Amino acid sequence: MTFLRFWLIAISLALTAQGTAAAPARLTFSWLTNVGPLNPHLYAPDQIFAVAMVYEPLVKYQADGTFAPWLAESWDISEDGRIYTFRLRQSVTFSNGEPFDAAAVVANFNAILAERPRHAWLELTKRITAIEALDERTVRMTLDESYYPTLAELSLSRPFRFAAPSQFRNGGTADGLVAPIGTGPWILRSTRLGESDLFVRNERYWGERPALDEIEVKVIIDPNARAVAMEAGVLDLIFGSEGPIFPEVFARFKTMPTFTAKVSSPVETRFLTINANRGPTRDIAVRKAINHAVNKDLIVATVLAGTQVRADTLFAPTVPYADAGLKPYGFDPALARKMLDDGGWRLGDDGVRRKAGEVLTLDLCFIGPDAVAKTLAEIIHAQLADIGIQVNLIGEEESSVYARHRDGRFGMIFNRTWGAPYDPQGFLSATRFPTHADYQSQEGLPDKDQIRAAIGAVLRTTDENERRTLYREILTRLHDAAVHLPLTYATSMIVSKPRFGDIPTAPLASEIPFERIRPEAR
Amino acid sequence: MTEQSLSLEVSMPTRRHRFSWSARFSFALVVLIVAVAVAGPWVTPYHPNAIDLLARLQPPSAAHWLGTDHLGRDILSRLIAGAGLSLGSVAVTMSLILGAGILIGGTAGTLGGRADQIIMRITDIFLIFPTLVLALFLIGMLGTGLTNVVVAIALSHWAWYARIVRGIVLSLKHREYVLASRLAGTSQLGVFLKHLLPGTASQLLVLATLDIGHIMLHVSGLSFVGLGVAPPTAEWGVMLKDAQPFIWTNPILMVWPGLALFITVMAFNLAGDALRDRLDPRLDTGRSH
Amino acid sequence: MLGFILRRLLLLIPMLLGASIIVFLVLRLAPSDPAMDYLRLSYVPPSPEALEHARTMLGLDRPLITQYFDWLWRAVQLDFGRSYATGRPVLPDLMHFLPATLQLAGVALVVTLGISMPLGMWAARHSNRWPDHVVRLVAFFGVSMPNFWLGFLLVLFFSIQLGWLPPMGRGGWQYMVMPAIAVSLMSLSINARLLRASMLEAAGNRHVAYARLRGLSERTVERSHVLRNALLPIITATGMHVGELIGGTLIIETIFGWPGVGRYAISAVLNRDFPVIQCFTMSMVVIFVVCNLVVDIVYAWADPRIRLSAGGSND
Repeated sequence: MTFLRFWLIAISLALTAQGTAAAPARLTFSWLTNVGPLNPHLYAPDQIFAVAMVYEPLVKYQADGTFAPWLAESWDISEDGRIYTFRLRQSVTFSNGEPFDAAAVVANFNAILAERPRHAWLELTKRITAIEALDERTVRMTLDESYYPTLAELSLSRPFRFAAPSQFRNGGTADGLVAPIGTGPWILRSTRLGESDLFVRNERYWGERPALDEIEVKVIIDPNARAVAMEAGVLDLIFGSEGPIFPEVFARFKTMPTFTAKVSSPVETRFLTINANRGPTRDIAVRKAINHAVNKDLIVATVLAGTQVRADTLFAPTVPYADAGLKPYGFDPALARKMLDDGGWRLGDDGVRRKAGEVLTLDLCFIGPDAVAKTLAEIIHAQLADIGIQVNLIGEEESSVYARHRDGRFGMIFNRTWGAPYDPQGFLSATRFPTHADYQSQEGLPDKDQIRAAIGAVLRTTDENERRTLYREILTRLHDAAVHLPLTYATSMIVSKPRFGDIPTAPLASEIPFERIRPEAR
Repeated sequence: MTEQSLSLEVSMPTRRHRFSWSARFSFALVVLIVAVAVAGPWVTPYHPNAIDLLARLQPPSAAHWLGTDHLGRDILSRLIAGAGLSLGSVAVTMSLILGAGILIGGTAGTLGGRADQIIMRITDIFLIFPTLVLALFLIGMLGTGLTNVVVAIALSHWAWYARIVRGIVLSLKHREYVLASRLAGTSQLGVFLKHLLPGTASQLLVLATLDIGHIMLHVSGLSFVGLGVAPPTAEWGVMLKDAQPFIWTNPILMVWPGLALFITVMAFNLAGDALRDRLDPRLDTGRSH
Repeated sequence: MLGFILRRLLLLIPMLLGASIIVFLVLRLAPSDPAMDYLRLSYVPPSPEALEHARTMLGLDRPLITQYFDWLWRAVQLDFGRSYATGRPVLPDLMHFLPATLQLAGVALVVTLGISMPLGMWAARHSNRWPDHVVRLVAFFGVSMPNFWLGFLLVLFFSIQLGWLPPMGRGGWQYMVMPAIAVSLMSLSINARLLRASMLEAAGNRHVAYARLRGLSERTVERSHVLRNALLPIITATGMHVGELIGGTLIIETIFGWPGVGRYAISAVLNRDFPVIQCFTMSMVVIFVVCNLVVDIVYAWADPRIRLSAGGSND
């Protein structure tokens, strides 16, 4: 058995070596799991970047916040903002040759809408009342009320993307697809569980032809193993905002001439949601003191090695409508102590504060196997201990942490905004539902009803000025209530071999524009 | 597990009146380690969790004898705190194992007959699990955390001790003085406490000492893979895990906790060997793994 | 011999049943509610209706004994259910990762025996001279060395300092060297010490002295008399090492990025993904038991007394 395996491995290595020689335009990338069966209308275990390689949206989100024609060549929006009419691009086919037409669009929308509860987090799925094919190339979508982020949600990596209807099962997509056939620049050729996935160029692609022939995605779970593989020349590219490698290691790659290393512009905010509805953090003085007690600049400069940017507010001021003129809570432990003193929290002999018998202690929940989150948690633990707050660190598996998000069993919990194009509307909208940690926290705010009403209103209004005013109100209320501890604006770390040229980034942080990678001429 | 007990060398049973130099060295080392662990909170130069981000990843210096870790914590202080934790958890684990082993094995051996049969069949079932697999399984059921790790390790090891205790009790049971005591009207419990239990003591002491290192490796191994203590608690296995991202840039971080673990395990192994040579040179239990 | 094997095989059945009861029952005695864990892992909010539905779906509303036999009946047919976390059938996924683990543990076993035997013999042949001291020193360090630390040290030295061996992943033989050493060093050390000791003991036996008197060469004496007897404890120990090697492999895998069952199992443990944990545990027990059965058979073959007398006592 072992002997046989050895030969199999030896032979496959030999073949790989030959294959590389024959097809130089392959890029080897790595991801922490297999990409999944790739069904654009389902979620786990499909990996977003891979979904976006195979499936495309009607409109494409641009870096400047606008939307470019994509599978839809053009569109009209009615006066009242309820009716969208899309004209589809001609001569687009799925990678199996099947035509991409209005019928295919309607079939995909119906498959999505048949599973509305699954997509309830996405407001648009609740707004759509009808979807019709007017002719072979025209589709009309009707909403029950105006919803300004409609185009933004249509541009998302999922679910509003299009699989070949011939691949549906039982007339829909909920039971999976026969094969992952989309219109995108890549085709998922093969999957080896726990080892790798292989994408090849879609030769029928309607857009610009990708320069690369193949993308191999190796499964590498461990950030260290990934760094090693990169250094050993097994990988051509490291790309990701989820800590694909440790910040220190990134800093090291940056000093090495054999690699190009850069970070993207900020893609999302990493913050802690502070629970205003549980324990001592119900007291706003405690929440504000926490905000003043954590030295973010130091964290960014040291353990994050400059790979992220200090965050002062829930959204970076560059996010649409987020430049609300909020005053940051600066790092000032003396002020933090004073706030706690003034709030009646007296320091005990054990270095922990108390007020009327209540001990100033709270649970900080994070994803245990995430080394960076653990490091941040340990630092926050120490910095809050400095001002007399006792933090219990609770590191668990992802699913257990999300369970805490949903039921509010946390004092502080690691959280993140959703990045473009969800920020700010998609993220804020989600905080109105109990499954979100922010909802659990907002339950403790006196003005929670005003906040939620304002979020509802901002999604409906068609008036740009009113929208701006409402966002300012929402963001100010949240900021003043100090229900967040903004930590950093995260970036994607990109390490590549120089021969692949400058690696482009996509406006959607979760997507990787492999099709725009141009290896330097050889 | 408990492979050490297999290593029992059948050295010629030359009863020595004094312990060899290596035995005395190992006892001294054990005493020193225990002393450091107990005195830990008073002798650590820094608080083991005190973070100083401006002094992170420092090489050894006068201020930090072993340098600082990725959060600027004093490594020596964390090692000392870790010693207390490791020894403490091993002590608890060992007590649980010995307690359960004596109780269950003693009962089976003393009562004999049907009760013995049933108890031993149950024990056998526990023995067909590889210990680490059983420990993983139990942690899966109980949840992670140091307490559960201790309980899981105890539950996956007691059966070995139960079997040994039973074996010793059976071998002592029919000695004349035991039978005499029984005839004199001593209760079964009395016989067990008065005659049988002391008979097991020396062998159990040897085995327990030999196993301490092994249990310690189990505890830190499970912490190493993330099932043990909660951060920021200093534990040697966790310190090793924390050092992993720095294997290129600061490999020295990995050296200290591993070395501490190695020396401690070695000290207990040596001490166990010495005790065995002294108390029971031909002890061979034939336990499996 | 065949009868012996059959008897041993039959004896396995009650043992495995016992193990299955533990694996099933402890889960139900655990402090948490499997239905809650199921909902948590499938990202469904735990409303009372959802809980009710999950209970029915998982069969938790039925009597415990029914649940057990139902589970057992399916497990015997190699159906361990679906992972709560991924929704995929458990056994095929486990089987996907298992070969890598078995490969590493198997190579480690070969390394253990292949190195410890010559070492032990060498030490015994030159007892109390320098080869003996060297072997004892190596073995002495080996039994105290934490395998996960050894793994790091090997990476540090052979991959980072010298650049000789790949530090992580699975591929050709060179990927195997360091993990196999890290997993096997402790068993190897113990085995070398054990063989040395039992060879010395066997060498002191009367029949060996007699063989020498008969004028047989040292080599012949060693091979046909000393080694043969000394091997018996080694055979027994091998069965015990298997458990240790499996355990060691599970931990070492995480250091070398070895794509085995270790990480799969540990993340299931962290997730409390019960079907995976149960399947993993039972598979490991079966592997362990089968290995020990093989060892017993080899032992019985080597020492006919066992075959004729006990015929299957487990002690």
